[in-house]
Amino acid sequence: MASLSLSTLQASWRPLATGVILLAAMEAAKRANVLPIFVPAPSAVLLEIWNSPRLVVANLAPTAWKAASGYFIAAVVAISAASLAVSLRVLRGPIYNIGVMINSVPIIATAPLLALWLGTGPQIQIAIAALTSQFPMLVGTMQGLQAADSRQRELMHVLSASRLQTLRYLLIPSALPYLFAGFKIAAPSAVLGAITAEWAGADQGVGAMMLYALFSYDTAKVWLSVLLTCLLAGAGFGVWAAIERMVVYWRHDVDLVD
Amino acid sequence: MSRDIQVDQVSMVFYGQGEPVIALEKVDMQVPAGQFASIIGPSGCGKSTLLRLVADVMKPYAGSITLGGDTPRTARHAHSLGFVFQAPTLLPWRSVKQNIELPLDVVGRGSAKRSTRTSAELIELVGLSGFEDALPHQLSGGMQQRVAIARALILTPDILLLDEPFGALDEITRQRMNLELLRIWSESGTSALLVTHSIAEAVFMSDRVYVMSARPGRITSIIDVPLERPRRIDMMRSQQFFECVNRIRDGLFGHEQAQAAAPGEPVEAY
Repeated sequence: MASLSLSTLQASWRPLATGVILLAAMEAAKRANVLPIFVPAPSAVLLEIWNSPRLVVANLAPTAWKAASGYFIAAVVAISAASLAVSLRVLRGPIYNIGVMINSVPIIATAPLLALWLGTGPQIQIAIAALTSQFPMLVGTMQGLQAADSRQRELMHVLSASRLQTLRYLLIPSALPYLFAGFKIAAPSAVLGAITAEWAGADQGVGAMMLYALFSYDTAKVWLSVLLTCLLAGAGFGVWAAIERMVVYWRHDVDLVD
Repeated sequence: MSRDIQVDQVSMVFYGQGEPVIALEKVDMQVPAGQFASIIGPSGCGKSTLLRLVADVMKPYAGSITLGGDTPRTARHAHSLGFVFQAPTLLPWRSVKQNIELPLDVVGRGSAKRSTRTSAELIELVGLSGFEDALPHQLSGGMQQRVAIARALILTPDILLLDEPFGALDEITRQRMNLELLRIWSESGTSALLVTHSIAEAVFMSDRVYVMSARPGRITSIIDVPLERPRRIDMMRSQQFFECVNRIRDGLFGHEQAQAAAPGEPVEAY
C-alpha cells in the first residue's frame, strides 16, 4: 500500500506542480490587471468555498448521486446489451448502431424535450447521465468480449470447455482491460451529462449553481462550479483507474529509459 | 493408456474469396499407439491443418479420422487430447501453476480422476520449480512453452499433438527442450504427433516421419527411423541418422533436384 501511494505521488507530482504554477501565474496576472473582468482571480474562487462551504456541499452531493445513478444504470444496460450483441451475431449491428445514435444526439437540445416527458425531478438528470455515458461502456464490453485470440479459443475448444467455462476462464478476464477503459472514459461523461440536464430545470446541483451564477454575473461562482465539475469528473475517472490497477494486475508496462 | 491415430483418405478444402483452396488431398496416416510420429513439409502444405483435424478443431471435407477407434470429437470430449501450440498461448492473468491446472478447472477438480500427476510434479518435470507463482510475462519464451507442455500433460492425454512447439526458440534451447519432451513422452506412454519444419528434429524425435508437399497438401513419402530409444544427442552423428535425413530431404526436394539436374550436369547428393 505504501508503495502504491508512493507511485501515485510519483505519477501525480508533475500535473500538480503544473497546476500550481498556472494558478500562481493567473493570480499574478489578475493582480496586475491584465486579465478581463470576467476572469476572476483564483484566490477569489477559492474564497467562495471558504465563505460558503454549505453551498458547495449542497450542490455537489445531488449532482454526484444523480451522475452515479445514471452511470450505474448505463453500465448495467450497456454491458447486458453488449453481451447480447456478442453472443447473437444478428443483434450486433442494431445494438451498435443504437449506441452510436444515442451518443450523437445533442443533449443540450433534447434535455428540455426529455424534461417534458419525464418531468424535471432527479429522473431527468439520471436519464441524461445514463444516455451520455453508455457508449464507451458498450464499445468497451463489445471489444473486450471479442479480445481473446483464436489460439486461446482453440485451447478452450480442445479442452472441451463449455460456453460458460470459456466465458469464465477466458472471455471475461480478457475483456477486463477494455471494460475498464470504457468505465474510465464514461465516468466524466456521466458527470457532464448530469450537469447539462440540470440546466433544463433543477433547483440544486452544480449545473443549477452554474446557471444561477451566470444569470447573476457572479463570475467567481461560475468558475467555482466549473472547478467542482472538473473535480467530480476527475474523481470518477480516478476511482476506476485505481480499481483497474488492482484488478488488471497482469498488465505490465515496459519502462523504457528516458 | 494410449490411442492410435488412423487418418483415412482425408481431404480438406477451404472456401475463401475466389477459388476454393485444397489444403489436403487424400491423406493417409497410421500412428500406432504409443509411437512418436512427425509431419514435415514446406509452409502451407497443410500440416497444421492435419493436426487441427485430428484435434477436432475442424471437420474434414472428406475421409475419416479415428483415434483409438473413436471419432476425434469423442476423444476430445473424453479429454484424451493434449495440444501444444506454436505460441505458448498461456492465459496472462494466471500464474504458472494456475495455467497448468486450467484443464483441471475445466474437467472439474473433483472428477479429475484422469490426472495421475499433480501440477507440482509437472512443474518439476519441466524444470520450473520456484516459478509456480510467476505470471507468464515474467518468463522467457522457452519457459512459457514448457508451461504449455505441462498444461498439455496434466490430464495424461492419450494423444499429444504438437504444432511446431519449439519453432520460436533458439537452436540450443530447442535441442534441450526436445530431449526433455522425449523423456516426458517416454514416461507418459502417450502417442505423439509433431508438426515441424526441421528435418533433424523430425528424425531425432520420431519413430516415423511423414513428408508432405504443398498445393495440394499430400503425403509424398514415409520414412521409418530405426534409431533405438532412448535417443541421445550423439545419435545425430550416426550413419542411420544421416540416411534418414537424406531420405527426408529427397522427399522434400526430390522434385526440384530433378528440375535442376535437367539442363545438364548431374547434381551431387547433399
